[in-house]
Amino acid sequence: MENRWIAYLIPPFIITLLLVAGSQFVFIQNSFYQDLGLGRTGTDLTLTNYLKFFSDSFYLKTFWITIKVSAIAALLTLFLGFPIAYVVARMKSKLAMFLLAGIVVSTFVTIVIKVFGLIIIFSADGLINKTLLNLGLIERAYSIIGTQEGVVIGLMHFTIGFSVLLLYSVVVTVPPSLEYAAQIHGASRFRVYQRVIIPLCAPGFVVGGLMIFNMCMGAFTSAALLGGGRILTLPVLVQRTVMMEVKYSTAASIAFVLLVSVILINLFSLIAIRRLRSARLVVA
Amino acid sequence: MKKNKNPLASLGLAFGLALGVSFSATAGEFDGVTLKVATWGGSWKANMEKIIVPKFEALGGKIEFVTGSPAANFAKLVAGRGRAPFDVMEVLDAQVGDFAQVDYLQPINLDLIPNKVNLQPFQYNTTYVGSWNTQETICYNTEKFAELGLPAPKTYADLAASELQDKVSLPDINSGAGLANFGGVIYAAGGDEQNIQPGLDLLKKINATKFWTRGGETKTQFESGDIYAAVVHAGWCTRAARAGSPVMTVHPEIKPGVKGLAKEGWLGIMKSSKNVKAAHWFINEYLTTDFQYEYAINSGVFPLNKDAIEKMKGDEINAKLMELRPDAISSMLRLDYSKVDKTAWIDGWNKTLTK
Repeated sequence: MENRWIAYLIPPFIITLLLVAGSQFVFIQNSFYQDLGLGRTGTDLTLTNYLKFFSDSFYLKTFWITIKVSAIAALLTLFLGFPIAYVVARMKSKLAMFLLAGIVVSTFVTIVIKVFGLIIIFSADGLINKTLLNLGLIERAYSIIGTQEGVVIGLMHFTIGFSVLLLYSVVVTVPPSLEYAAQIHGASRFRVYQRVIIPLCAPGFVVGGLMIFNMCMGAFTSAALLGGGRILTLPVLVQRTVMMEVKYSTAASIAFVLLVSVILINLFSLIAIRRLRSARLVVA
Repeated sequence: MKKNKNPLASLGLAFGLALGVSFSATAGEFDGVTLKVATWGGSWKANMEKIIVPKFEALGGKIEFVTGSPAANFAKLVAGRGRAPFDVMEVLDAQVGDFAQVDYLQPINLDLIPNKVNLQPFQYNTTYVGSWNTQETICYNTEKFAELGLPAPKTYADLAASELQDKVSLPDINSGAGLANFGGVIYAAGGDEQNIQPGLDLLKKINATKFWTRGGETKTQFESGDIYAAVVHAGWCTRAARAGSPVMTVHPEIKPGVKGLAKEGWLGIMKSSKNVKAAHWFINEYLTTDFQYEYAINSGVFPLNKDAIEKMKGDEINAKLMELRPDAISSMLRLDYSKVDKTAWIDGWNKTLTK
């Protein structure tokens, strides 16, 4: 009986595989041919595109910036998202559902609108700059466009709703009774966080952090609009290579490097966490 | 039954019938034809929808738009190996060299474009018909410059003033105006299409922190006070002026005898198009005085139609911010893109200006 139902999954699986893996395969295959420009490629298999990527300081710098801003954004998003998720998860009133619904709805707002909202808030006569200038904390308006900080803020803005939802689902699995028990035995609130909540949520932090990191690595709109042509990340570089130079093979090689690097970073992170756990350096 | 003996009524009836017959004949000219046009969105598309589309629909046809930048549309063409999802396409001067290599356009029968008489002879040929051009300028905030005690800029090097640090926006190399303005900077710095280093050095000196990909960004940034100067075409400056920003344009000194930079727009008919007659009709309509003038006023581009250029003089903001003297327009720098090594230009730009 169960096998009969599994059989129904085979056609959608094949279609998905063809659409996702098939198109990726064509693209990746292209990356192993010399790029002759305007969508044309050479006939012999070669690693020219990859050799260029790994020998050109511009590409390596862009690669490093992509990893750096994604990692910082992922860490800060977790750091900001966890308290919100915790508070909502521990709420007993119906407000929690409203707050969660608000977060879900906000994720439906297109990222372009969100980023333009950020640009307006951070503009020279925007709320943030006016406040900081009036408080005398800065001498001249600060612009987030074209800065790595701006890109990080944009990536955080993009992923924060997702991170709250993700961490909420982790926090609700930790029974409040454990916190009460610790407190009854004299633990301070800080101690409860340090020894009970955070260790129990640690696997969720790792998985959530990696998921947010992956989203940031592939994010285009925030990085393109807030990078302002000055801070390039790999997804932005792929778009520019396709649109401006019409170099499909080169773009494919950059995209493949991005894909493989994300897979490897995830893999190594999970291996490292497992080793730390077995060495009892991580409680979870 | 009484006969109508009023001769005027008979004449009116005959005229009405004749008009009806002639109207129904032209009305069906493009019955069932769906012409697909690749152009920008926003005001570009809106102007076409307002002026050209109703005329085409009156002839029985339908126009659909494939919106995107010419670069994006060219990428679609390449991906489809020339099988275009459109019949007519807006082409930038910087792309003419690319099109020459791929053979995706079909010849234009200039006999079917009678409105070409409104253009100068160098603005049409059997592959492309000119559609508009832009006057690439330095647009600056007059009030902020006065506050800072800075004189009006004369050329790109004036944007390197320390007072303007973080307040200058340049077109990103990835934008439609990127290559053209980079070329202008190169020439102004003493280089040319094959020697780009002087331009890169000057750009480094300007040390701009903002690069726009859509001209509309500069309008918003002028309004918010994020920038005091931008290298952008005069049309975007007129839009900022119409929105109330205290802005003025300068046609930068490029080299002795050359002031200002022009970027040309073209229209081409795709080789894969089956709607050749309708495509010619569309191009011809693009060149009418009415459309060219409306387009210029609303989109900020500069018309090619001689009568439309004359009409531009009647608009105060255009007269102030745009160059309307034919000899001055003709003497603006126009890059020779056949000499431009696009990859080297983009590579040089990326390595010099990205952080």
